[in-house]
Amino acid sequence: MKFTVYHESRIGKRRNNEDRLGYCYSREALLMVVADGMGGHYYGEIAAHIAVQTLTETFNREAKPKLSDPFMFLRQGFNHAHKAILDFADMQRLADSPRTTCVGCVVQGNVAYWAHSGDSRLYMLRKGKVMTRTKDHSRVQALVDQGVISEQQMPEHADRNKIYGCLGGQQAPEITYSRKTPLEAGDVLILCTDGLWSGVSGDLLANSVRNTPLARAIPALLDTAEGKERSYTDNLSALGVRWEDTYIDASSVISTKSMNRNTVTTKMDEFGRNPDHKTDLSDEEIERTIGEINAAINKSFPFAHSR
Amino acid sequence: MAQQANHALPPGFQLDDYRIECQLSMGGFSIVYLAIDPDGQRVAIKEYLPNTLALRTEGKTAPVIAEDHLPAFRYGMKCFFEEGRALAGLSHPNVIRVLNFFRANDTVYMVMEYEQGRTLQELIQKHSATITENFIRNVFTKMLNGLREVHAHRLLHLDLKPSNIYMRNNHAPVLIDFGAARQTLACDTPMLKPMYTPGFASPEHYRQRDLLGPWSDIYSVGASMYACISGSTPLPADVRLESDRLEPAMVRWEGKYSDQLLETIDWCLCLNHRYRPQSVFALQKALTEMVTPSLPPPPPSKAPWLKQVIGKLKKSNT
Repeated sequence: MKFTVYHESRIGKRRNNEDRLGYCYSREALLMVVADGMGGHYYGEIAAHIAVQTLTETFNREAKPKLSDPFMFLRQGFNHAHKAILDFADMQRLADSPRTTCVGCVVQGNVAYWAHSGDSRLYMLRKGKVMTRTKDHSRVQALVDQGVISEQQMPEHADRNKIYGCLGGQQAPEITYSRKTPLEAGDVLILCTDGLWSGVSGDLLANSVRNTPLARAIPALLDTAEGKERSYTDNLSALGVRWEDTYIDASSVISTKSMNRNTVTTKMDEFGRNPDHKTDLSDEEIERTIGEINAAINKSFPFAHSR
Repeated sequence: MAQQANHALPPGFQLDDYRIECQLSMGGFSIVYLAIDPDGQRVAIKEYLPNTLALRTEGKTAPVIAEDHLPAFRYGMKCFFEEGRALAGLSHPNVIRVLNFFRANDTVYMVMEYEQGRTLQELIQKHSATITENFIRNVFTKMLNGLREVHAHRLLHLDLKPSNIYMRNNHAPVLIDFGAARQTLACDTPMLKPMYTPGFASPEHYRQRDLLGPWSDIYSVGASMYACISGSTPLPADVRLESDRLEPAMVRWEGKYSDQLLETIDWCLCLNHRYRPQSVFALQKALTEMVTPSLPPPPPSKAPWLKQVIGKLKKSNT
């Protein structure tokens, strides 16, 4: 697994930061979580914290080194976090339990799996384009879907804070799952809270990270969102990963098995092909490689037979 | 499998500048021939011919490669080139020498030096009585000179085992079959599935290929020494990781070999790569270190060997 990751959270003009983000990885799986807490006092912050902590702790227990079922993991993680927030509210004898949005993403075997509840988003970006993003569980998203308002009108709409999916609420959380999404080297996944996405468009996100390291692109995006003249400035957070490997379809891998005469010396020669590498060795390349090898032989053994 | 096997080129066949004498071995990936070069020298020629992708029927020269197998065939050729590249840069008496590389019959060939001898595997199966402590120390210390050279070139052999250690008739061991060798620092080709031999492959071969290092070859050296004494393949590392039922050499052969040698073997066979000798040099030091005086004299390490030669010279002078 190869990837670069960057995360940053800013308080904006609020009194406290109720956004939480975290990521963890084993040898074969990566988990990223972003949560945006809601609720009076500091409880929203705690709800967001519980969500991130529950998911990362479950990941620590179960990624050995792979998760047996990433979607199942996300479902259980979200539900456990939901219950943990309710338990916390019970213990503190709170009249109304704190809530949090949550978006979590697992990458395993170069395939991404994500789930979300509320209006924290995941953007999947490839070659400067938004391939897909999560659809918020919010009033404004519903209005967009119905064609009542445009996507550009979402951030300033009066109902923008009305969300109906979250962890810790009275109802069981609404959770939407992605498809299994194979990744290609260079793909970028960005998980963020509404503080960021309400200030920058998807196209800007995609363009900004295309050729710029995340460690430079994400702070610049946060600057843009923070600098926007708006009636409010929420907390704003982003967690981005640039994936450096490419998924290879197992069905395109050809395997050959061989056995030596000797029973002790059983070995497996396996090789396959990547659909992207169908442009195979050309005749010129073969000739050039042979030339290079023979040149190396002559360098090592000036008296070798090679011509 | 039998009907799928490729037909080897017949004896007497003129292959480029070489005349084929006979087939030496056939694997799923290649055929090795004994041949005569234009100077009348014997050479070994390895022919790239993966039998699942290219089939040569009896009496034919060029293999039949189905259209949709061609990309995989060419891809496998890249791996074959890698072996050639790995060996071409190495020049060491304990490492097989590549002499030439050429293209013919729609495939590619690697010409290697040939010397009379047999693999260590054949030797331990047919002459188990000769596997004395002295023999093991001697053969492995010399073989490790070759492995040191391999590691010094930032390469790992990754498929060390008795059948890949060729014993010349003068008892000098030579490392052969670098089909699994990879440039350690070069990026891993994701398409390349690992290639290894259960029993000799280290735990890293199975699970954590990013941890492969000199210590992984050293595990294989330990397994090879173990196999020399036991006469059979040691328990595979993946099985050991589940439940380690490999009897330590120290327990199994106590009293028959020196404690120090048996401990060294067990040291190499540690499942945790960090507990093994971390370099060939460290292992060689252990193998040339003789602590039990009752056993036959140690294989000469470099300095004593020089002294011996000097001693002999002195003798011949008198």
